[in-house]
Amino acid sequence: MKKLDFKDRFLYPAGTVFAVMAVSWAGYFGSACLENDALHQALAKVFGTAYFISVAFGTLYVYTVSYLRGAAPGERVLASAISPFIWATKENLLLLESYGILESIYWYLNPLNFWLICFMALQMGIGGIVARAVLRRRGEAVTVATPASLALIAVSVAAIVSAYAWGKGENLYVIFLAGYRALFGYGI
Amino acid sequence: MSKYQESEGILSDIISRRKLLKLAGGAAVAGLALPGLAVPARKMPAKPNIVFILGDNHRADAMGCSGHPFIKTPGMDRLAREGVRFENAFNTTSLCTPARASILTGAYAGRHGVKNNHTPWNYRMTTFLEYLAGSGYATAFIGKWHMPGKGLPDLPFLDLFVSYTYREGQGSYFDCPLIVNGKDTPSRKSYISEEVTDWAVEFMGGKHRRAGNAQKPFCIYLSHRPAHPPFISPEGIAGMYRDADVKSALPKVVDPWWFGKTRRNVFQGIMMGSYYDQYRRYCETITAMDREVVRLLDAIDREGLRDNTLVIYMGDNGMSWGEHAHHGIRESYEQVIRVPLIARAPWLIPDPGAIRNTMALNIDIAPTLLDAAGAGIPADMDGASLLPLIRNGRAEGRKAWMLEFWHYYPEPTPTYVGVRTDRYKYVEFRKGRKPWLFDLKEDPGEERNLYGTPEGKKLLPRMKALLEKLKKGR
Repeated sequence: MKKLDFKDRFLYPAGTVFAVMAVSWAGYFGSACLENDALHQALAKVFGTAYFISVAFGTLYVYTVSYLRGAAPGERVLASAISPFIWATKENLLLLESYGILESIYWYLNPLNFWLICFMALQMGIGGIVARAVLRRRGEAVTVATPASLALIAVSVAAIVSAYAWGKGENLYVIFLAGYRALFGYGI
Repeated sequence: MSKYQESEGILSDIISRRKLLKLAGGAAVAGLALPGLAVPARKMPAKPNIVFILGDNHRADAMGCSGHPFIKTPGMDRLAREGVRFENAFNTTSLCTPARASILTGAYAGRHGVKNNHTPWNYRMTTFLEYLAGSGYATAFIGKWHMPGKGLPDLPFLDLFVSYTYREGQGSYFDCPLIVNGKDTPSRKSYISEEVTDWAVEFMGGKHRRAGNAQKPFCIYLSHRPAHPPFISPEGIAGMYRDADVKSALPKVVDPWWFGKTRRNVFQGIMMGSYYDQYRRYCETITAMDREVVRLLDAIDREGLRDNTLVIYMGDNGMSWGEHAHHGIRESYEQVIRVPLIARAPWLIPDPGAIRNTMALNIDIAPTLLDAAGAGIPADMDGASLLPLIRNGRAEGRKAWMLEFWHYYPEPTPTYVGVRTDRYKYVEFRKGRKPWLFDLKEDPGEERNLYGTPEGKKLLPRMKALLEKLKKGR
């Protein structure tokens, strides 16, 4: 497997997903300004769907492509995390309107980010398998389903299923709030 | 008269109005006629029974009787038909826990101290239930308490205390584990509203009371879980609005993906389904609660208590469903601060089915119920009795009141305090936002902030003075 330069193996895959996320974000929120309701609804569906896919499933694309372009494991993870991190950070910045910096940082621990990280881990496991399958088709002698990938998939699926089964995730939110009170009191 | 002149005189009016309302309420219970107050023909019970029903997150316009395009609320409609509906009813703090404490104590949150959903009940003030128990009432608190703390509070004056602490006190729609007079108790009915209504009906019939209390007048505080998310309704109601024209009830700005937009991050609520579906389900939970209101009213009739029972239905706070690109509670928008409020007292109301336009507040509930019971209204209550307004549609009410909100993590709304008059709303934020000043007559949608405009600059000193006056009176 040839290792491409940093721009090709890291910036382009991560930048592609970020561009889709940014454009669909702007398109989605911008569509709400349209007077024509039918057009607004249609654009909202298109951009909303693209926005969701870019954040929730962008990891699969970034991880797989960066793998195929020779990125090291750390680079793949980092490239995959850029768009979700920016997406999540927007909310932390929004909280600064009402709260201090530490409380805003604590928001990174919210259950939504837990779900997102679980889905990212799942996609990294799948992405690794997909990438190696492509390499094998190209004639490289690699093991497609490595123990590490399978373990990542198993752990992430188990985390998703068990968190959902345990009160559909609501209990995670209760724990998150209890943690907040332990650290910051009532917040007032 | 200019709009600025219209607010003249408000400052001097606030306190005197409150005093007048308390005086008038006391006189009404004593059977005295004040000039200008209509006196109905029916005989007034010395100590009427009281049933106070509280909904959760119930918007003022989400009832058939308030003109909703498709929701079915025959119970609330009946109450409105046989009683009076307050079209300008508000909560003073748009968040569940402080709003509930305000209802119980008749005080602004700044006085009772339960400021957000993290703040525990603190026993700083006496609840109207305790005053009523001391006045010879059998009392019951049934349903959602929803104030944090270690378990439920110690309220030994209650004959019956049925509530839950499950999931931060939110409980669950089905098979909610209950705590009945301090003991863990499983639900007998599966759906929470049916369960709590059963307890209320039994209490009305004389069960679950202390020895010697079976014949006493009763006060039931019945607090429902609907319509708090996740919106789940029982069989027979779930899905009933599947084909409803939901878009006719929502602002045009929303779209199916919209649920998460309120926190700026789309798909925040993706696991909850589309926004339209959420709103349908919200309406279904209100209808599910209303079905229990019907059952309760029927039980009152069956027991022969209709003519000596004051029934009040209220919501703890409203909520935005897309207005101002906002979803939920907390903000000071009209959709959030307005609540449904209906009162039925056959001996008091000369014009059943009428609408009262005077501003009424959640902090008025405690003084109203004490007034109805002839129990006297404590001086530390900020609210005033609504009995004069219930009796007489022409009675004058308050001209201004105070909005309060303390930030509640992790919701993105800064702490604010404000004043709402019958025409203007002025809100000051502790950080993050410049003040809001709206002329609700010219701009009912609150789309044009007058703060900083020439018009706003003229209004501002009066609004600030009014706010300061209200703060001092708290």
